[in-house]
Amino acid sequence: MSDQHIIEGCIRHNRKAQQLLWKQYSGYLLGVCMRYATDRPEAEDMLQEAFLRIFFNLGEYSGTGSFKGWLRKVTVNTAITYYHRNLRHKHHVDIDEYVTAETGTVGFEEDFYSAEDLYRVLGELSPGYRMVFNLYTVDGYKHQEIAEMLGIDVNTSKSQYSRARAILRKKLEALAKMKDKYT
Amino acid sequence: MDIEGLFRTKLEENEMEAGADLTRLVMRRLERKEFLRFNPSRFNIFYAAATAVAITIAGLLIFPSPGDEEQPLATEGKSQQVEQAATDGMKEDTANEENVPLTPSLKEAVNADSKTLTEPATVTARQSETVSPDGKVTESSVTREIRKEEPVLARKTFRALIETSTSAGCVPLSVKFSYPSTGSLTADWSFGDGGKSDENTPDYIYDLPGTYIVSLTLTDEKGQKSSAATRIDVWPAPKAEFEIRKNKIAEGEEELIFTNHSTGAVRYHWNFGDGTSSSESDPQHTYQAYGRYDVRLTVYSEQGCADSVIVTDIFTDKGMFLRFPTAFLPNTGGPTGGYYNRSTDEANQVFHPVASGVASYNLKIYNKTGLLVFESSDLEMGWDGYYKGQLCPPGVYVWKVRGTYRNGQAIVMAGDVTLISY
Repeated sequence: MSDQHIIEGCIRHNRKAQQLLWKQYSGYLLGVCMRYATDRPEAEDMLQEAFLRIFFNLGEYSGTGSFKGWLRKVTVNTAITYYHRNLRHKHHVDIDEYVTAETGTVGFEEDFYSAEDLYRVLGELSPGYRMVFNLYTVDGYKHQEIAEMLGIDVNTSKSQYSRARAILRKKLEALAKMKDKYT
Repeated sequence: MDIEGLFRTKLEENEMEAGADLTRLVMRRLERKEFLRFNPSRFNIFYAAATAVAITIAGLLIFPSPGDEEQPLATEGKSQQVEQAATDGMKEDTANEENVPLTPSLKEAVNADSKTLTEPATVTARQSETVSPDGKVTESSVTREIRKEEPVLARKTFRALIETSTSAGCVPLSVKFSYPSTGSLTADWSFGDGGKSDENTPDYIYDLPGTYIVSLTLTDEKGQKSSAATRIDVWPAPKAEFEIRKNKIAEGEEELIFTNHSTGAVRYHWNFGDGTSSSESDPQHTYQAYGRYDVRLTVYSEQGCADSVIVTDIFTDKGMFLRFPTAFLPNTGGPTGGYYNRSTDEANQVFHPVASGVASYNLKIYNKTGLLVFESSDLEMGWDGYYKGQLCPPGVYVWKVRGTYRNGQAIVMAGDVTLISY
């Protein structure tokens, strides 16, 4: 069954088509949610919300452009909604996470880190940093767009991005040291 | 691979296995939601039943008991509310399931008040004017008291009054609330951001900037109530952030340019870590001595809220070096004096080091027999290949250097250089 068939089926609320859509894309979109979540349960929550949005708004997909890209966009938007809703409860001021000047440009080996490692270090970031870093680095939004989506200043987006980057670097290096020790 | 590349390649297309439990959960939520949405293509017995119930209720409302004039008005109001609820339900589907709570505290407080008020309409209007849905106040208002007259009971024996440890401050702001107590009263606080308390002297922390209206309702044993409200301003904190660029003025002379990316700040204080400071927004600074420095930027907002950031080890000793060439080609036309600068010594006629961060320096050059042919304590002064006005013969010469770098580190070096001749 092609994407087109699945979409049409879902618009008609065909149960079979809905299941197929879930089967085909839940894995990919769970991967997206994992990037935006603190942990797996939170990612699953996000994924459920994203899929309900997808099922009920499929009619809005214009048919032009990649369907996968559209699904990802809806999911990212869900993550943003989720972030805004939880902002109040999880608001932290990261006083101790100041930036140390980056020393040298140590490269990272792709095969050295697993996807789980990366999800974990992302999950440890404070929510605001994680949002900005993901939106900018992986999902390719510009700082101006991110500022609008999150309701923050452009400079805040930029500075949070560079802080997030510095923190991630530190965490990855610490992880590498640990791995070296045990292998 | 840089950090961006790592995350992009590993995670952009990464798939995770969504478990069977999750699948079931999603499908169940989907079914429930579809049921709640009216959809002609899925018309079924539940809709039929729901419609029947709706018609029955409507029938009861439309045919009121005769002779009662107020009844029709009430039904109109009710059916409007029902409609409102129905449309809300439809809208909610597209957004999210949970309702965002809208300052239940304040609304409740106002509703409770209006029961006992003699002029409920006016007070309610005043309240709703100033309070926006997120509980923050858009219009300035000072401490005021909402007083009501109890129509049944003749006189109030107490009045609510709020005392606060502070009325404004930087986020996160901790405020201690209390009231002058007279007898045993039950307190009901609402802090304006959804937070509530029934303590007599609650401590509350605001962790988001904004203006909040705090209200207190006191109730005594007889059920008499009195309310008061006050305003708390929580100022936003600035964010300190900066970037450093090195600007090379000359060999070994670096000037640092600090670019300020702070937000929400009006005043700056830079501590360069070498005993000097600046209050400029984007200062430039040259360190007198080589070494490692921690630079701290503290920024202040208009209201005096502060934030600071430190960048450590910004200047390492990488800037200190002393290097010598291994050969040179003296001018055969006569001694040049040994003074050189880069633009005039392209022909490599003077033997001299390339140096950075050197404080003191002494160079000695010997020939094969151990004769000292040249000595200089000036970095700008190299050897032109002449000894007592005579060009030295081609060959290998030995040099020795003693000195110190600007951070105090000693320099002891030795090597050889070949004098070349045409």
